[in-house]
Amino acid sequence: MLAALLAAVALQQIDSVPPHRAPRTLVVDERLAADAGLKIGDPLIVSRTPGGVGDTVIVSAFMRRRADPSEVARAEYRVRMHLDELQSLIDYGDRVDRFALLSHPEPPGHPEPYVADAPQGRLRGGSALPAVTDSAIRRINAAAFGFQAHRSRDIAVETSQTFLVVSRFHRAIGVITIVASAIFLLCIMLLKVDERRRDVAALRLMGISAGSITRSVMVEASVVAVVGSVLGLVLGWISTAIINWHYRGVYRTPLAFALVTPQIALLAMMLSLILGLAAGFVAARRLVSMPPLELLTGRRDDRPPVSAAATR
Amino acid sequence: MTDAVVSTHDVRRDYHMGDEIVHAVRGVSLEVTRGDYVAIVGPSGCGKSTLLNLIGGIDRPTGGSVTVDGNRVDTMRDAAATRFRLVSIGFVFQRFYLMPALSAAENVELPMAEAGLPAARRAERARDLLAYVGLAERRKHRPAQMSGGEQQRVAIARALANSPKLLLADEPTGELDAKTGAEMIDLLGRVNRDGTTVIVVTHDEDLARAARRVVHMRDGNVVDDHRQNGA
Amino acid sequence: MLFRLAWATLTSHRARTLLAILGVAVSAAMLLDMVMLSSGMRSSFKSLLLARGFQLRLAPKGTLPLDTDATIGNAAEITSVLRAMPDVETVSPVLGGQLHVPRDGKTVTATALGGDAASQGDYEITSGREPRGADEIAASDDFLRVANLRVGDTLSAAAGYDPQLRTFSGTRQLRVVGRAHFLYMAAEQRAVALPLETLQAMQGQAARDRVSFFMVRARQGANVDSVLQRIERAVPKVSAISTESAIRQIDQRLSYFRQLAFILGTVSLVVGFLLVTTLVTVSVNERLGEIVVMRAIGVARGRVVSQIVLEGSAIMIAGAVLGLGLGLLTARYLNSILASFPGLPAAIDFFLFEPRDAWSALGMLVAAGILAGIYPSWRGASVPIATTLREEAVG
Repeated sequence: MLAALLAAVALQQIDSVPPHRAPRTLVVDERLAADAGLKIGDPLIVSRTPGGVGDTVIVSAFMRRRADPSEVARAEYRVRMHLDELQSLIDYGDRVDRFALLSHPEPPGHPEPYVADAPQGRLRGGSALPAVTDSAIRRINAAAFGFQAHRSRDIAVETSQTFLVVSRFHRAIGVITIVASAIFLLCIMLLKVDERRRDVAALRLMGISAGSITRSVMVEASVVAVVGSVLGLVLGWISTAIINWHYRGVYRTPLAFALVTPQIALLAMMLSLILGLAAGFVAARRLVSMPPLELLTGRRDDRPPVSAAATR
Repeated sequence: MTDAVVSTHDVRRDYHMGDEIVHAVRGVSLEVTRGDYVAIVGPSGCGKSTLLNLIGGIDRPTGGSVTVDGNRVDTMRDAAATRFRLVSIGFVFQRFYLMPALSAAENVELPMAEAGLPAARRAERARDLLAYVGLAERRKHRPAQMSGGEQQRVAIARALANSPKLLLADEPTGELDAKTGAEMIDLLGRVNRDGTTVIVVTHDEDLARAARRVVHMRDGNVVDDHRQNGA
Repeated sequence: MLFRLAWATLTSHRARTLLAILGVAVSAAMLLDMVMLSSGMRSSFKSLLLARGFQLRLAPKGTLPLDTDATIGNAAEITSVLRAMPDVETVSPVLGGQLHVPRDGKTVTATALGGDAASQGDYEITSGREPRGADEIAASDDFLRVANLRVGDTLSAAAGYDPQLRTFSGTRQLRVVGRAHFLYMAAEQRAVALPLETLQAMQGQAARDRVSFFMVRARQGANVDSVLQRIERAVPKVSAISTESAIRQIDQRLSYFRQLAFILGTVSLVVGFLLVTTLVTVSVNERLGEIVVMRAIGVARGRVVSQIVLEGSAIMIAGAVLGLGLGLLTARYLNSILASFPGLPAAIDFFLFEPRDAWSALGMLVAAGILAGIYPSWRGASVPIATTLREEAVG
């Protein structure tokens, strides 16, 4: 069980610790340490208001921010103190903002786990056995005054709303890009196949079937699609690395902003292949559906077909 | 002093084909008088088409000089040569090379538009030229809707658009059947009789027989040059 | 004749031309959207901030308005000081908080803004009137709907709520006198407005003579930066934020979208360019015979190039015009996605159409189209005539 109290405090660097008391310790986040030039062992005064009376503490460790999307755009610094020290510093009494619970399966006969009273707080529970967590949440909500228990996962979903919106936006851009790519691909295939209309005419006059020509064009289109998508994947992987490097630096977070997973890579290649095949098919069928002589001369034969009776 | 519309002096044209140098034209000196009708004949690869291209200014000689209507076409810059071709020389090709997207009348108007003739005047002249070549009723048709002979007639009308002093025809009957070829020969004869100097390059014996002067070429050289038909 | 030939060439390959136009249209749409995105947020936010003409916001030192629970003390004195400044036209003190309204067995909680009805800049009355009396309140449509209230109804509201003891504090009877549209609230956010003194009294001793922030409107023609500096000197415990600096901060927070807009916009332009280049190249290769014959019969090289470039430009222009309509449609769709950001004021648009943006996007595309056609057409028009004729004859 973890009681958490969030409060804004002020920090002030000092040269040394007053000798009459054992120093308290403080863990500061990497960002603050870097910006303020702090080192392990540096003394600080932590107070409730800027320039106010406070406690002397020693920097005992640095902490790294979690890869939490909801923290990305936040510029504030974070420090960790012992609960009682912070409660005392900000005059909070015996109060906390929330408890975090880690539930576990109860052995038979074991007494029920202790549930602390906490005002207006949220309890977080998580375990390998969802049924145990659900049961704990139900019991807590039924018994406790003034606070609500939630699954950590549910809270994470709620605080990630911003990034869900961004994901939806990216997905929409992705769909538009795919539609655009399909049109471009069809246009290019049409052009390239059109360029070879005389070759196609010669093949048809030689006796090569329309099906064979179509298949040949589709093989060509699929090779182009596969090679293109491999190139695209490499480009995507490089771009992802650049994007992550850039935004990790800007927001000073270990969060990954872009990710190329095997599933995404496979989806991209499959989509590319399907679009390429479809474009090749459409372009090829357009050409082979024209009479070979028309392909060769560019002249449409408007004469009506000769009837069998006329030839007898 | 003869009124020479074309005068070549020791003109040469060499091509690089891989590591080899091909001497397509080897020092040909030729004069064509105004109003003449000359056929240049010879086996394939003898350099006749190359010589025609050099006369027309669409190719540059490796050596020697080419003068057309008093102008040195071999030393003209590209823009000047282009302009010269537009107003002084008419070209007819074996494969017609009409603009497939334009009608017969529009194809004939094309050089006139380039020369700056107003739209009304060029439409009228195009009508007259198409009537001259016997295609008055086909002026709105596109090349794809015409036979080979008709296309070649349109090509001749186009070549005459800016009243050139010289008409150059490279195998004008090469893609035509005998009957249509004969009609083309008649047409070229008429063009010549009406005052235009005509030089044709041909394999077609009938066409060669229609000319007043025949120049035989072989291996880049002129091997025979004689007048005929009482010229 | 140039236009005629270009038009004839384009219409003789209808499928290809239409597909190319469609391809360019998609590029144009994407480019327009990205141009709209890169400037839309900023313009929209600026319009919102200046909706009621207040150019300055004063918040507790080091904070942004309503970003924290911090408040400014001696509010009445500060208001007098500000109003006495010659370049200050209007001062609107605002206290933020929450009101809890027990209704039908449940508690409806709303964001409460306590202010001066005569000088406020946070809401617009859509029906009824502003709350001027001590026990009057104006509310948003969503609050009234959820609380099942109408204009004229009376409700019991509390400023404080202890969930452990389930008790309310600072309770008061208030009468709904108006419906209001709150300019800076998110869509569907429940909000109420009431007189400053009323909310201060309801919040108890801790809120006595305190406000969350001030909104200041400078006189017409006054230098806003000078007013800002004067205020900061006169009232050192506040941070004065001008519209420009607020926009700068927003720019920084939303820089991701500007960067994305730039990248996607560039990609769209490049793709459109490549499409037209490919089209022109293939077209030139197909018609090499025609092109050299045009040169042979005396058409100038520049004219030939112009005609081919005209074809490419025509596709680009047609695609750009189509793309304008498509872009506006997709912008609406994308805007509806981004508008669902939690806590975003409903009045903010990410994609804002300004004619200047449309012209610049389309201008870029047309310029790209012209450039795309120049090189392949110049190459095609510069091939040696005689050699090409020979190759075309053999081919």
